Amino acid sequence: MQTPTETSQRPEDSRLEPGSFRDPESRVFYAGGDVYRALSQDGLDDFKALQETKLFERFQADGRLVRTELLEGTSAVPGELLAKDCAGVLRHERIPFVSYPYEWTFSMLKDAALLQLDLNLAALEEGLILKDSTPYNVQFKGSKPVFVDVGSFERLREGEPWIGYRQFCMLYLYPLLLQAVKDVPFHPWLRGCIDGITPAQMRSVCSFRDRFRKGFYLNVFLHAKLEAKHGDHGKEVKSEVKKAGFKKELIVANVRRMRKTIESLSWDPPEGVWVAYGERNSYSDADAERKDEFVREVVTSQPWNLTWDIGANNGRYSRIAAEGSKYVLAVDADQGPVELLYRTLRDEGDEQLLTLTMNLADPSPSLGWRGLERKDLAGRGKPDLVLALALIHHVAIAANVPVAEFVDWLASLGTSLVIEFPTREDPMVKKLLGPKREGLHPDYERVNFERVLAGAFDVERRERSSAGTRLLYFARPKGTGSPIDLTAAEG
Amino acid sequence: MHLLGYLDPGSGSMILQILAGGVAAIAVTARFYWNRILKFLRIRKDDEPAPEQQADSA
Repeated sequence: MQTPTETSQRPEDSRLEPGSFRDPESRVFYAGGDVYRALSQDGLDDFKALQETKLFERFQADGRLVRTELLEGTSAVPGELLAKDCAGVLRHERIPFVSYPYEWTFSMLKDAALLQLDLNLAALEEGLILKDSTPYNVQFKGSKPVFVDVGSFERLREGEPWIGYRQFCMLYLYPLLLQAVKDVPFHPWLRGCIDGITPAQMRSVCSFRDRFRKGFYLNVFLHAKLEAKHGDHGKEVKSEVKKAGFKKELIVANVRRMRKTIESLSWDPPEGVWVAYGERNSYSDADAERKDEFVREVVTSQPWNLTWDIGANNGRYSRIAAEGSKYVLAVDADQGPVELLYRTLRDEGDEQLLTLTMNLADPSPSLGWRGLERKDLAGRGKPDLVLALALIHHVAIAANVPVAEFVDWLASLGTSLVIEFPTREDPMVKKLLGPKREGLHPDYERVNFERVLAGAFDVERRERSSAGTRLLYFARPKGTGSPIDLTAAEG
Repeated sequence: MHLLGYLDPGSGSMILQILAGGVAAIAVTARFYWNRILKFLRIRKDDEPAPEQQADSA
């Protein structure tokens, strides 16, 4: 029961996570910069069972399970939750930046899948099970997958099958199969459908030959067939399954089989991406070094909390950004180099650099129920520094976003900015303009760009490459810097 | 205590797990289909409601 003292202690900024409502046993909320989880009595009993397992300490110690403590009392709980059934409150370690599976590369989704299965196997050994199998329960700390939904553990009930199997297929297995076998990226599908790919849909995109491939016959073909046949008899089947004596060993066998299937899946970017991964763009060595230095001077000039490197490519500048930023997002529309960057960072054990694949001309929107379950990028944390290097020509020319629009979007983030402008004479710009009607994109021009940039930011620094076709700028949010006069001759 | 999870396990998905369980599943599969045959031949009547059904109708 809530006491007056508890009410007065409750932080004023407590608010529910709008995306956390599907599981009635546990709801996430924020207060005073921390992440909490309110549990029902059942949820609390399940958590206490988890606390007594060996896996709880083991997986927290190696960083695969989010750090969690049970609080005494429920004083941090928002009023609307207290009115309902709240028996206990957990406090979680905060993940630096939330990301979603439709922004992950193939190996990121695969690693999240393996973590989910390993946790489930460890849980089964100690009489628990994960009640669901959604990749939204996994987050990345840099290149490290962390399972964040402690409320997913529950005590195993005798006679019940692996409840999360179907969800695992829809949100992990099928997306991975789609990309590994068909070379079709799973991202548009996962972004378009919050529940993932159904067995019937997956069956429809498979050929006859596919049924002989590992993991397909049982998980796709037979699964879709059984679902079509028995779809309307959920309760009946559940009681028949129980009566037939479904036991833990069967779940373990199924989870192990799934693990082998996932482990066997692989996807590699096209060969050209591998070659380009180690190379620089159209820069001379001296210019490349000057660009490195420009970025390094900005990122080390003051401590930055969150830097976004948009158009990160092979992550060269994301790594430089990490020298002066607490946390860095490396975002690129091309999954290939991001996949390779993720693999490298994973080998290094990096926890500071989060790789995401996303087209910035069509970025992740707010999604789900009322558009609140999944947030757009800025809704998850605005950066204090953005690197937009070798990007604006792709956005303005290839994606037809007006220069002023793009700069306005950057300014709306309230961030400082390092931006590169390749002029119309730059080989890459010429290549992009080549197939277009002459005279298009008149706004893509240096003087106009500088006018727009100076209107939206305080531009403090400008530097031109020796080839003369690329310019670098450092700018602060309007009203916070000491602007230089861009109309004056370059110094 | 609630007995149904918030997630629908999918009936086809449950049967699949019985079939796909390998050696561990042989006896369970046999029992599952034997019960179905008996039910089909009307040798066995429909089962009494499972506990979760009782909880639901409560």
